[in-house]
Amino acid sequence: MNRPFSPDQPTTPWSRRAFLVAGGAGVIAFGFSHVIAAIDPAVPGNVPGAGTGPLFAPTQWFAIDSKGIVTVNIIRAEMGQHVGTGLARILADELEADWAKVRIVHVDTDPKWGLMVTGGSWSVWQTFPLFSQAGAAGRIALIEAGARLMGTTPDRCIAKGGAVHAGGRSISFGDIAKSGAVARQFTAEELAKLPIKSVARRQLIGRPTPALDIDAKTNGTAIYGIDAKVAGMVYARPKLPPTRNGAKVVSVDDSAAKNVAGYQRYLILEDPSDTVPGWVMAIADNYPAAIKAADLIEVSWVAGPGADVSEKMLLDHAAGLIARTDGGVDLDVSDGPSPANFGAGAASTLDASYTTGTVLHFQLEPVNALAFQKGGVFEVHTGNQWQSLILPTLAKALGIPEAKIVMRTYLLGGGFGRRLNGDYAVPAALAAQALGKPVKMILTREDDARFDSARSVSAQRLRMAFDRSGKVTAMEHHACAGWPTQALAPAVLAKNKAGDKYDPFAISGADHWYDVGRQRVRAIVNDMANTTFRPGWLRSVGPGWTNWALESFIDEAAHHIKADPVAFRLKLLTGAGRNAGSSPSAVGGALRQAEVVRRAAQMAGWDDKLPGDTALGLATSFGQERDMPTWTACVARVHVDRKTGVVRVEKLTLAVDAGTIVDPDGALAQVQGSALWGLSMALHEGTEFVNGQVRDTNLNSYMPLRMADVPEMDIAFVESPQPPVGLGEPATTVVGPAIGNAIFRAVGVRLRHIPITPAQLLTELKA
Amino acid sequence: MKRPWLIGGAAIVVIGLLGMVAFGWRMAIAPIARPAVASFAPAQIARGEVLASAGYCATCHTAKGGAVLAGGYPMKTPFGTIYSTNITPDSETGIGTWSLAAFRRAMHEGVARDGSHLFPAFPYDHFTRLTDGDVADLYAFLMTRPAIKAPPKSNTIPFPLNLRLLQAGWKLLYFKPGRFTPDASKDAAWNRGAYLVEGISHCSACHTPRGALGAENKDKAYAGALVDHWIAPPLTGANPSPVPWGADELVAYLGTGVSRYHGVAAGPMGPVSHGLSKLPPADLKAVAAYLTSLNGAAGKSAAGAPAIGQALATDRSGTGLQYDAAARLYTAACASCHYNSGKEPNPLRPDLALNSAVNMDDPRNLIRVILYGVDAADGIPGVVMPGFARGFSNADVGRIANYVRATRTSRPAWTDLEQKVATIRAEGRGQEQ
Amino acid sequence: MTNFTVNGKAVTTRVDDDTPLLWVIRDVVGLTGTKFGCGIGMCGACTVHVGGRATRSCITPIAAVEGANITTIEGLDPASDHPLQQAWRALQVPQCGYCQSGQIMQAAAMLADFPAPTDEDIDTVMTGNLCRCMTYSRIRAAIKQAAAAMAPKS
Ligand code: FES
Ligand code: FES
Repeated sequence: MNRPFSPDQPTTPWSRRAFLVAGGAGVIAFGFSHVIAAIDPAVPGNVPGAGTGPLFAPTQWFAIDSKGIVTVNIIRAEMGQHVGTGLARILADELEADWAKVRIVHVDTDPKWGLMVTGGSWSVWQTFPLFSQAGAAGRIALIEAGARLMGTTPDRCIAKGGAVHAGGRSISFGDIAKSGAVARQFTAEELAKLPIKSVARRQLIGRPTPALDIDAKTNGTAIYGIDAKVAGMVYARPKLPPTRNGAKVVSVDDSAAKNVAGYQRYLILEDPSDTVPGWVMAIADNYPAAIKAADLIEVSWVAGPGADVSEKMLLDHAAGLIARTDGGVDLDVSDGPSPANFGAGAASTLDASYTTGTVLHFQLEPVNALAFQKGGVFEVHTGNQWQSLILPTLAKALGIPEAKIVMRTYLLGGGFGRRLNGDYAVPAALAAQALGKPVKMILTREDDARFDSARSVSAQRLRMAFDRSGKVTAMEHHACAGWPTQALAPAVLAKNKAGDKYDPFAISGADHWYDVGRQRVRAIVNDMANTTFRPGWLRSVGPGWTNWALESFIDEAAHHIKADPVAFRLKLLTGAGRNAGSSPSAVGGALRQAEVVRRAAQMAGWDDKLPGDTALGLATSFGQERDMPTWTACVARVHVDRKTGVVRVEKLTLAVDAGTIVDPDGALAQVQGSALWGLSMALHEGTEFVNGQVRDTNLNSYMPLRMADVPEMDIAFVESPQPPVGLGEPATTVVGPAIGNAIFRAVGVRLRHIPITPAQLLTELKA
Repeated sequence: MKRPWLIGGAAIVVIGLLGMVAFGWRMAIAPIARPAVASFAPAQIARGEVLASAGYCATCHTAKGGAVLAGGYPMKTPFGTIYSTNITPDSETGIGTWSLAAFRRAMHEGVARDGSHLFPAFPYDHFTRLTDGDVADLYAFLMTRPAIKAPPKSNTIPFPLNLRLLQAGWKLLYFKPGRFTPDASKDAAWNRGAYLVEGISHCSACHTPRGALGAENKDKAYAGALVDHWIAPPLTGANPSPVPWGADELVAYLGTGVSRYHGVAAGPMGPVSHGLSKLPPADLKAVAAYLTSLNGAAGKSAAGAPAIGQALATDRSGTGLQYDAAARLYTAACASCHYNSGKEPNPLRPDLALNSAVNMDDPRNLIRVILYGVDAADGIPGVVMPGFARGFSNADVGRIANYVRATRTSRPAWTDLEQKVATIRAEGRGQEQ
Repeated sequence: MTNFTVNGKAVTTRVDDDTPLLWVIRDVVGLTGTKFGCGIGMCGACTVHVGGRATRSCITPIAAVEGANITTIEGLDPASDHPLQQAWRALQVPQCGYCQSGQIMQAAAMLADFPAPTDEDIDTVMTGNLCRCMTYSRIRAAIKQAAAAMAPKS
């Protein structure tokens, strides 16, 4: 798998230049020190305080002030994963800092930070080596300076709890910083070789440590994008065109809107970046007026492509593309093209097709942005997951150089991948430019849902061949879906060895760790989806559908050869050959997946006797990508009501091996949340395209999981010294197929579409 | 509280002519200089204040956002809008020049000081029952309010219906002046209650259906009526509440705006309970005694009625995992506030199984409440139920109404709900907006 | 013109009668702890107390709160140390945190009615509050912890 962002690609400054560790009397302002600067979620109002006195700032990643406060700069977006806490903990552990004195700051965009993206569950995985070494370097420098100040030698000193100790004496990090006595330089090579603590000596990693952003999130002081304010701003709400792409405004009539008190005017956006074609903005003194006015403004448009597209058309189109032998891109896992007759020589074959429906992100904070020009710089205040992607687009839209734009950091009221697409920054910026004053644009919930970067429908066909003994000899997985990366970030499409481009996120998961003999994985773009809307990366992206198909299919295969689904999986997870795993993050390979399967089955009581129409179903996943696997297995205990078709998920049991768990409680929270997302997408939420638009735009008909739907959950982590990998997504992908498999074992009905509905189940039960 | 007043068509012209002949012409009563505040005894003013509250004078005589009692409140009728008058003691624009005699004639006979006939939107047909003493107390209260200069707004009743004289004809047909006469066969409390209910509080003005020309149909007294887009439910034995309206619950409801077994006072009923809450406890009990004699619940206590246990049991339906779209709407939108557990419903968590609106044959009141909610000024004072008009489609509102009806009652399902919601939505939130 | 109090302070506004209370609290009074999620009364992110009752401010027209006392998350406890807030911190409930002001306000009102809530009470009363990060099991646990802390010691 070709990941567009590798751990060494983002900002590792020492890979390019020497890493200077030097003390000094300069005061470093974290992020920007303007009106509303970068965010420190631990302080009310979230404006980071300036450090006190001389700072010890050995790298751009952290600094220690003379009070001993360690401030860690975080370039990742905070959207519920407590990423700042997680990353600061890595650095603080190596630094031997006093956790009570650690602060985090979510920084604004500045080229010095390098690539800014938060997604793919990569944050901890990518930052771990970087921050460990930064912390270790800081510690060494502090010990050397501390030794000098105490008149001893570094080898007699240790750092602990935010101070350097020598025998009975000690000097705090703050006093060392105040002395200005630190000077130490590391070359890139030296840094890379710095010894990282052994697991046993870790003080913070793996131990319960309170997250630094919790307080502000319980007392109303946490500041999200929607809370951004600046003097003299006007409010805007867009009037959205009938299609996401290619719409053109013909005429606008705002005579009815003129009766709304506070309505100012409308604005037809001219957008050279083509991000918001056909958008009209209602401008008003206050937001409720902007909402009302936009409702009353009448616009006639020439619609772009897809205005007539329905969910069925999207799915039929995908099925048609799969049926064709040409088209699509074979992943490099493939052992060459399939023979003309797939089942040739096989004792038996299995062939099944699966589909998934449209899903919305529905992050609770509707997208919004505040934009204005100040001192020759364009400021965009918003919560965003991929600043580096939208900055060039903003530059193009505004017709100004990227260097003249800065994005200010805010907390995200949910991301789930929605805010990887920063499209919403563009209309606010364009309006601010056109009006020459600050514009605060907020989408209503309905607006947000209509032009969400929805998760595309998918259609998949899987085939498997078996020999006489039931051994799997060949497998194919064809998956067709809208490709978010092609729609939103074509520059980071992956390429196979043959040079064909594909969206790695839209097929990930199909390249599994089972031994299946001759294997083929083909990714096909649903071009109708890509022209009709802008498919988005939604929590786990491809594995959200590939794993639904794969893990349902594996159960069907087990049934086909009359094997137990757990035993069958364990037989295929041998860790041989391609599936042996590799350093650094995939050590152990498929054997680690086998272990979580075993554990989940055992925890859930796989062989226990259960009441009628009740059964366990299992599904497993390696998470997002083969070189960053998060081994996950889930058992769902499900009861089916044959009369109503209602599926009651009674319990979810999950076993997860994510390597080192940096933050046990946060890790648990991520798995809880992602498993429930999986449940929500399997049984509760989902919409359909009707006339080029999603049918459900608010909670009166879009019905995600709520508290009363939450089943009992039992989650266990495998203890592991391996490098930490991502946790935000993998569990979303196993719950759906685990439920589908449990339904089959409970009542003998195989469902091949999610979301599962009682109506669909009833039909199958009657069939 | 507002009442739509039918002011008859051609017929009224005819009876107007009759009226003119019969007793149409009334003399003006000479203006007086505004009496000094000190000329009224404080105790009398205080008694008048209670009566003014129990008669909701300020409700109809105060425009939204306007000065209290200074008039200008619009009452829409099929024939146009009547604006209430300024009843502060302003000499130019209010009743500052009215003598007690003039005021009494207005209350007892529906004739203004200048001799013109008042529209029966002013319920003189009830106030005529008041004792001279009570009228004098009311007068004392009104004449000691701050005088507000607020010129009357012109009504939009078209010619010839705007001829005040025509009202005389209406009176001839429908108006029987006369003080309240006690019923010797009933006890003192009942008689006191009847006096208040039929007189100052004019309950039947809303709860009794009216004929074509807007007069109360005495044959159907308290049978329930449509008022301002709301249904004033029957106060007779035909009342649909699962728990009979016993005296204790009436006292609670009329005194606080909420009854644990029936819900809150919403719509035009909101100001009524606030008005009655000023009555001394004995008077509230008297009102309840009279009303329970109408509905057959006299002497019965509501507590322990079988419907209560059943309601609390059904209250739980819809909790837990749900797929049904209506059930999910209900649990997300309604259950937070309306769910009860335990042995008694919490009056601050109005129990829908017991609620009149859910149990009526007509879904109108329930739909109105779902769409437009209940303001802090109505129902439970200071508490709000928000309305769901903005985000919910007509189908959504219909779905919830249908769901609540089906799961909380054993009454027949309402029909054409979506259409009814559309109609009620088109009526808007209320007359004043 | 509408008069009411927010966290004990008198407020008078001159906005349109149908302006939702939510935007008055956020943009006129300037307290942004109360959030906008759905605008139709179905997510609870905008929950405040009106007369002590949990109320979804996004669908409450300002005219409806004439004379009412309103409490927002900022005014729940003078030191932000309500037992629920303590429990929320102890159990690290929030993820993105966006729904949590509403969750806490709804929970605080619930505990007044159900001082020792059962799972069913909690599920039913709290189901109107969507948490898109799905912190539900922690919310449930934190409410119980707070209820225990608030229970009169005998
Ligand atoms: S924003 Fe008010 S309930 Fe969703
Ligand atoms: S914590 Fe994110 S929505 Fe609840």
